Amino acid sequence: MEDLLELVVSATASGCIYALVALAYLLILRPTSVINFAVGEWAATGAFIGVAILTPLIWPRLEGPYWLALLAVPAILGVLGWLVEALTVRPLIRRGASVTSSILALLGVLIIFREGLTLLFGADPLPSPPPLGFKRVAFGPFAGGSQQFLIIGVTFVLFAGAWLFFERTIWGRAFEAVALNRRAAALMGINLRLVTTLAFVSGGMVAGLAGLLMSPLTSAHYMMGLPIAIQGFTALVIGGVGRVEGALLGGLVLAFVEQFGARYLPIPSGLTLGFPFVLLILFLFLRPSGLISPREAR
Amino acid sequence: MRGVRSTLVWLAAIVAASALAFWLGGYATDVYRKMLIWVALALSYNFLFGIVGQVAFSHFAFAGVGAYGVVILAHKLGMPFGAALVLALALCALLAFIVALPSTRLEGFYLALATLAFSQLVIVVISEGGDLTGGTGGIANYRLPSVFGYAIRGPWYTVLLVLLVAFTLWTLRRLDYSAFGRACRAIRDNAVAAAAMGVDVRRVKVQAFTLTSTLAGLAGIAYAYIDNVINPPVFGLENIFLLLFMVIVGGSGSHVGAIVGAVFLYLAPFVLEPIVGHGFLLVFGVLVVLTILFRPSGLAGLLNRRTARGTT
Repeated sequence: MEDLLELVVSATASGCIYALVALAYLLILRPTSVINFAVGEWAATGAFIGVAILTPLIWPRLEGPYWLALLAVPAILGVLGWLVEALTVRPLIRRGASVTSSILALLGVLIIFREGLTLLFGADPLPSPPPLGFKRVAFGPFAGGSQQFLIIGVTFVLFAGAWLFFERTIWGRAFEAVALNRRAAALMGINLRLVTTLAFVSGGMVAGLAGLLMSPLTSAHYMMGLPIAIQGFTALVIGGVGRVEGALLGGLVLAFVEQFGARYLPIPSGLTLGFPFVLLILFLFLRPSGLISPREAR
Repeated sequence: MRGVRSTLVWLAAIVAASALAFWLGGYATDVYRKMLIWVALALSYNFLFGIVGQVAFSHFAFAGVGAYGVVILAHKLGMPFGAALVLALALCALLAFIVALPSTRLEGFYLALATLAFSQLVIVVISEGGDLTGGTGGIANYRLPSVFGYAIRGPWYTVLLVLLVAFTLWTLRRLDYSAFGRACRAIRDNAVAAAAMGVDVRRVKVQAFTLTSTLAGLAGIAYAYIDNVINPPVFGLENIFLLLFMVIVGGSGSHVGAIVGAVFLYLAPFVLEPIVGHGFLLVFGVLVVLTILFRPSGLAGLLNRRTARGTT
């Protein structure tokens, strides 16, 4: 039983990371229809920036406080997201190129980020110190590492914020309007260019935070981006690309299937690596709208 | 008259590319052979991506199915080589057909995601196949058996690879200039309009996917006998990105572009690595972004201004 509850905590924490990456996809995908595979590399970038701030990696004998990393990572990733949008997606949209052109250009961006990280930080994994130490924490019957509870807490705050943004603010409505019908939204006076820019900035910030949060569990490693990009996208497809809640639900479903399957199903552990791909295929073919259907135009 | 001339051009190109095989040394032969595999893969990938407009990430997975298929059938299960070859190709075609049926229904980039999941599953399966697939270490210690008493060795194997590229190019060009090829380009440019003109969009997509994936399988089979070693990472995601970049930089939709892109990006690291080390991949990323932004017709468009206007 204790074992089971611990697995619940660990799966919830992993699910929250997937959900954050899924949210980063969603923030960009909803208004622009662009699937940005580089969000995985943005998460990796967030992880490396965190390590650079928190450990004496770049500035000897200088270990920055965690709140600085918590502020700097989203700030830097927001700027990087803006740069990527301004340099690749915006000119393509202006030229009237297809969405696929943007997606392919972002695959180039993915490689640029990954190789850039390798050049800057080397190919070895860099451990990232957990801000609350290595001690175990227990909430009632649920016990786990402090970092896992931090991940869960921050994720729920971010999702609450995202939900409020989409449901309660005029800017959220504008995002939604652009997602439903770009042209009609533009005719209603919504600034498409600004919405696109904000989509990439916010996507970058969320992805960077996901990387910073996961880095104490996985270390910062230059190969971490692509797997998390695939898992995050799978989470998004499971939950449904239309709604913020979908990203969270999809992330949790994916992590629970992965971890409980690996623990309790009588198959070789290597094969459990295939779970996300099986789920992705099943949902794409059988339920492409995901578990939570997108809202219809009202 | 034109027919005779083009036959002569083909023969001259094949003879020249084959003659090179007898002149190159050991290391250069290895480089040359792998380059020919890349060219063959880029040609078939270009047909699917550049001419039918379908972004799929499964090309290397099918090369893997072909390579593993023939090696397992011929060397693990002891089948006659000819039968193993035919069966491995049939397996590729069948699998591609099964993947294509539901996948081609998916809109836009979702095909890429479904095929990405499929190709990752293939990697998981061959990595976990135990003795049959050799697990993550792959399979080694086998060699191309003699067929009817003829053993194809040394430069003659390179000649075989030249013929593989020629066969791939010839097949794809024939298709491109047929009604099928026009239907493919119509689907790429506007699927709805193509359907309105009487093109059976689903059918053409499934046929194109199955055919190009089978050609990938053939290239995979040829690859299996270059080093006489196969292992999972070769058929993974890293290489499919590189293949996509080759086709984009070369100029998607153009056969010449696919060849030029493959040769250029395959050989570039040999020049770049001494200068920038591993950073050549960074250069590739920049190159791809610049190509998409400023010259969608790629290197082929630079070579031939007329194609540059033809494809946008």
